[in-house]
Amino acid sequence: MRLDVSAIENNFAVHADDDGGIFGGAADLPAMQLPTCADFDGFQKATKELMKNKKGTTTLAFIFDKGVIVAADSRASMGGYISSQTVRKIIEINPYMLGTMAGGAADCQFWHRNLGIKCRLHELANKRRISVAGASKLLANILYSYRGMGLSIGTMIAGWDEKGPGLYYVDSEGARLVGTRFSVGSGSLYAYGILDEGYRFEMSVEEAGELARRAIYHATFRDGASGGCVSVYHVGPNGWKKLSGDDVGELHYQYYPAQATPVEQEMADAPAA
Amino acid sequence: MSIFEYNGSAVVAMVGKNCFAIASDRRLGVQLQTVATDFQRAFKIHDKLYIGLSGLATDAQTLYQRLVFRHKLYQLREERDMKPQTFASLVSALLYEKRFGPYFCQPVIAGLGDNDEPFICTMDCLGAKELAKDFVVSGTASESLYGACESMYKPGMEPEELFETISQALLASVDRDCLSGWGGYVLLVTPTEVQERVLKGRMD
Repeated sequence: MRLDVSAIENNFAVHADDDGGIFGGAADLPAMQLPTCADFDGFQKATKELMKNKKGTTTLAFIFDKGVIVAADSRASMGGYISSQTVRKIIEINPYMLGTMAGGAADCQFWHRNLGIKCRLHELANKRRISVAGASKLLANILYSYRGMGLSIGTMIAGWDEKGPGLYYVDSEGARLVGTRFSVGSGSLYAYGILDEGYRFEMSVEEAGELARRAIYHATFRDGASGGCVSVYHVGPNGWKKLSGDDVGELHYQYYPAQATPVEQEMADAPAA
Repeated sequence: MSIFEYNGSAVVAMVGKNCFAIASDRRLGVQLQTVATDFQRAFKIHDKLYIGLSGLATDAQTLYQRLVFRHKLYQLREERDMKPQTFASLVSALLYEKRFGPYFCQPVIAGLGDNDEPFICTMDCLGAKELAKDFVVSGTASESLYGACESMYKPGMEPEELFETISQALLASVDRDCLSGWGGYVLLVTPTEVQERVLKGRMD
């Protein structure tokens, strides 16, 4: 009896030769079109350099006793220019799973939506929701098959399944890591400083949200490529819920109110003689 | 990123009615990382002459120290302060001396000349002077600054209005630049007084 793998087939994976013959007949799966040109590798290298972006962003996610907190900034930068301060970097894959965006915006948006499609197909084929581990594996396998072609994705898949809260880090190099605390992007180091210091497993949802907000705020302060607004989401047993969206410019003066500097010297009218 | 974008900067100067204003941002960064939020880029040469230096921060500080030295010598010899036009020529000459290994700075010079006539000019890193009657800009946010100043500037503004205009132009422009901002610093100079103010801006 041949294994029915139609639910986990995808139309976009580059065909890998060595599959041991288990999925016999999969050799003619349609794959994403690759350009026909003389020097494919050289062309790929040139396009990679053209599209190169350095994941200018800050996103973070952590697991605590009441679920998963996911937070991100909202700035898109092109070199030194800020192209937008209102980018949505937390992508809603389905009502109980979230993905974060770091790297190429188009890459992240497309592949997250593709993942959402796969998750729904899995639900319909198997009459149960896909696990976070399964969803992240689907994405990781696709990204691995495109490894070296210039996709730029550094994402975290966060969700709640039968095993409880789940958090995976997946990137375009093909890495897939399970963990309890992650931060991705150029501002991630600053966010880790706050996150690692304030993290406890037992926290209320408000405390956890405030920790995430503070961590992203500090990253926007120090990192030039992060800024705009902080969005904080919470994933619980009933799905995700957006906790807050705060403008970082105002957050700064909430945390550190401006103090009037004393005037050094002031001109005064000469006393009337 | 180029060497001019290593530290990040934004400097602008505007002319009003018998007054001028010079403003700069306050960020000092190392590429994308912000290291200080109180860095000074606009310096005093004498009571009626100010220079703002954008570009590489170390060159800005060194150039400022050399210019102060030259001006003090001038004061000792001539027993008076330098006129802004003369000072601009001095800066231009100093920069061209280093034609084949330049200072990576773009100065903005603003002062009150004879009869307290406002004078502003800017130059590139090799000393090419550009005189203007209305405003001059330089730094990583210069393109945004050009747009903001062009739309907000009116000739013959009184000091209070000039301060408002230059502050809004500066803050709006640096909000579109990753490498400058984190507050603002404005110097408003009239024949009788100098006002310096620190602006509250977005700290991201």
